[in-house]
Amino acid sequence: MIVASGDADVLFPPSGAATTSADIAGLVFSRLAELTNDLNTVDDAGFRPSLARSWEHADSTTLVFHLDPRALWHDGVPVRAADVAFSFAVYTDTLVNSRFQPNLAAIDSVTVRDSLTAVFHFARWYQEQLYDATYHMKVLPAHLLDTIPRDRLASSAFGRAPVGSGPFRFVRWNAGADIEVAADTGHFLGRPRLDRVVWRIVPDFAAGVSALLAGEADAIELIPQAELRDRVRAAPDLRFVPYASNALAYIVFNLRGRGGRGTHPVFGDRDLRRAIAMAVDRATVVQSLFGPDGDVPVGPTARAQWIWNDSIRQLPYDTVEARRLLDSHGWRDANGDGVRERGGVPLRFTLLLPTTSRVRQDAAVLIQSRLKALGVEMRLQPLEFALFEQRSIRKEFDATFQSRTLDASPVGVLQLFGGEGVGQSNYGSYAGAAFDSLAHLAITAPSRAAARPLWRQALETLNDDAPAVFVLSPPFVAAVHRRFQGVSIRPDEWLAGVAEWYVPPQARLPRDR
Amino acid sequence: MLTFLARRLALALVTTAAVVAITFALVHLAPGEPFVAGAEGRFVPPETVERLRERFGLGRPLGVQFARYAINLAQGDLGESFARHRPVADVLGEALPNTLLLGGAALLLSFVLGIGLGIVQAARAGTLTDAALGTIVLAFYSVPAFWLGLMLLLVFGEWLHWLPVAGMTDAALHGTLSTLGRALDVARHLVLPALTLALVNAAAVARYHRAAMLEALGADFVRAARARGLAEGRVVLHHALRSALAPAITLAGLSVPALLTGSVLVESVFGWPGMGRVAYEAIFARDYNVITAVAVVAGVLVALGNLLADLGVAAADPRVRRR
Repeated sequence: MIVASGDADVLFPPSGAATTSADIAGLVFSRLAELTNDLNTVDDAGFRPSLARSWEHADSTTLVFHLDPRALWHDGVPVRAADVAFSFAVYTDTLVNSRFQPNLAAIDSVTVRDSLTAVFHFARWYQEQLYDATYHMKVLPAHLLDTIPRDRLASSAFGRAPVGSGPFRFVRWNAGADIEVAADTGHFLGRPRLDRVVWRIVPDFAAGVSALLAGEADAIELIPQAELRDRVRAAPDLRFVPYASNALAYIVFNLRGRGGRGTHPVFGDRDLRRAIAMAVDRATVVQSLFGPDGDVPVGPTARAQWIWNDSIRQLPYDTVEARRLLDSHGWRDANGDGVRERGGVPLRFTLLLPTTSRVRQDAAVLIQSRLKALGVEMRLQPLEFALFEQRSIRKEFDATFQSRTLDASPVGVLQLFGGEGVGQSNYGSYAGAAFDSLAHLAITAPSRAAARPLWRQALETLNDDAPAVFVLSPPFVAAVHRRFQGVSIRPDEWLAGVAEWYVPPQARLPRDR
Repeated sequence: MLTFLARRLALALVTTAAVVAITFALVHLAPGEPFVAGAEGRFVPPETVERLRERFGLGRPLGVQFARYAINLAQGDLGESFARHRPVADVLGEALPNTLLLGGAALLLSFVLGIGLGIVQAARAGTLTDAALGTIVLAFYSVPAFWLGLMLLLVFGEWLHWLPVAGMTDAALHGTLSTLGRALDVARHLVLPALTLALVNAAAVARYHRAAMLEALGADFVRAARARGLAEGRVVLHHALRSALAPAITLAGLSVPALLTGSVLVESVFGWPGMGRVAYEAIFARDYNVITAVAVVAGVLVALGNLLADLGVAAADPRVRRR
């Protein structure tokens, strides 16, 4: 019994946006291959067979998958290569509007060589071809979906009662209340060790944790608040399971003027950005909010990504150097009001932050006090989430306190800070030619070992330019009842290994039977 | 009586229409848009946003959108949920009965508690009992419902294990129970959320009812009853209470909106799959059709509540029918 903070939206994988939808899709549907727990998105060794029992790179732009002939849909129909080609067509169809469509942009087409062989044709060679071909796309049953108009697939009955080929089959969905999947006892990769998994929807985190502590539920993916973590840590029946975080909160500076035009009077200046970044004591912020559990990010990445390295060079917390930089650029507090100014213009900016995030609000207050000591006035503007996003996307901000759950692949950093992301997810409009060049070299490096130093250089270049302050990476901590054995958590999909969890017979509760 | 009923019904329709128009305008004019960015700011290509806006007719002038919405609404079509990819009628059809169950139970409980407290306070007016109950009532009246819910959940769910903490049923075992077992399962899950809503509302009812009872206890017919030598208990419960119930009927109608708004947070705290939670999530997702539909349903419920209260008062007091 899992406590989920939100209901699923739709169980049609290309359209599901809710976390619970993704969790369920991960168990009901299969990929061609699965990432292993170290999230090596580059090398073939980082993947294990799933629907495809093997694959080979026929040439630099062709990837051939050989399907496992034993694989069946939950209605008994065999999984075939035509399903793979159909799935690609659905995911990339503009009528479906899948949010994964951009992730599949490098794949030109998927063809069927024979009933058990699907061929992916790429526009160019790059490291993560296997990752892109397998990770974003769950294989869908063509025989159940190909007669439904594409723009109606998400709202079809299938989206409420899906049929997949994963280790668990869909059982029921009581909207807003609970969702159940049961073990596919004849699954071609072996029967899951749990008979069923039930999600109970409890939107309030405190109430969700209470459900765990009261013994009404067995597991929760995340415990965001320190006081709740402490309660769980103290519970004798619960196992506290920390795992690598893939979340990041960071303050993006708008390098252009409001609305994305011209140059921002403060943040258009690299040295000024560096000075402000150096005035932020991120370690204290993280310690204050999370105790020893959180991470100070080494750049636009998180510990779950393989490019993370504690030794990546960052701007230090150095208020002396920050003051020197500001002084040297003529920003001084001449009138003694506590705020530096230059040419009559005060060193003042506004930070947007969402009212939904207590963590970011608390962090912003701590940062505000540090900047004030430096003579920089940072005004806080909490906004309702949809408005916060709208203002950020439209670049109507000086600085915006963003948060991201990062993909397993580091390539997404180019969307956030690369030139190709300007006008899209790169809200601050940072465009560093050196960073772009290094990142692209890293993407096309022949192996993860070769890519690591290039990513390192790219992140260090980005850190030097300070287009953002990478403030915190919150701790990821799950709680699982102690009667469960074999528990392992993959950071990007915490239930990816749930088919291996089990409860010894002597420890079973009535709800386990 | 028929004229009275027709007049009240017309007023209820006009009120609901006004709620629809105002809500429609507010949700569409409020800053923030659906589709612009998904959760965690995943980029949605502008052409995708445009296609979705086109599909749901959001690019058209607001007046045109409203006219279209009103025509569809008149035909019983509430539109499609942007976020849930399904008809709004289906979404609300699942959630509304749960909210009605919770709201109905809370309303009943709050009036039983509130009227009981009001009677005791009025009968003991000016005594220590009256003051103590008044303080307790004021305390419940002052606390936010969601905080009270969390406290009840902590004490009766997590610490004492007397009642389930969350949900409407035992998600793992409900399906294995008998019909009676299922009903009891729902009833056990109903206790804490209903009690949370009821305690806050009961406080208001008690305060009103105490005043109404005091007025009734000072009335001539009560003095006459006492003069006839009736026992005080009979005077209070038989004579004064009947007279003081009319304001309570009106208050019941007026309590419907308070229970509906209160249920938004209480449903979230207790994981109760009702309309309040649907509304809460729809607001964050800018799911216009769902927000407007919730307002329509809430408007109808409030108008219906007021109508029933008016009818109840009219039935009890012939002078009202003649107005």
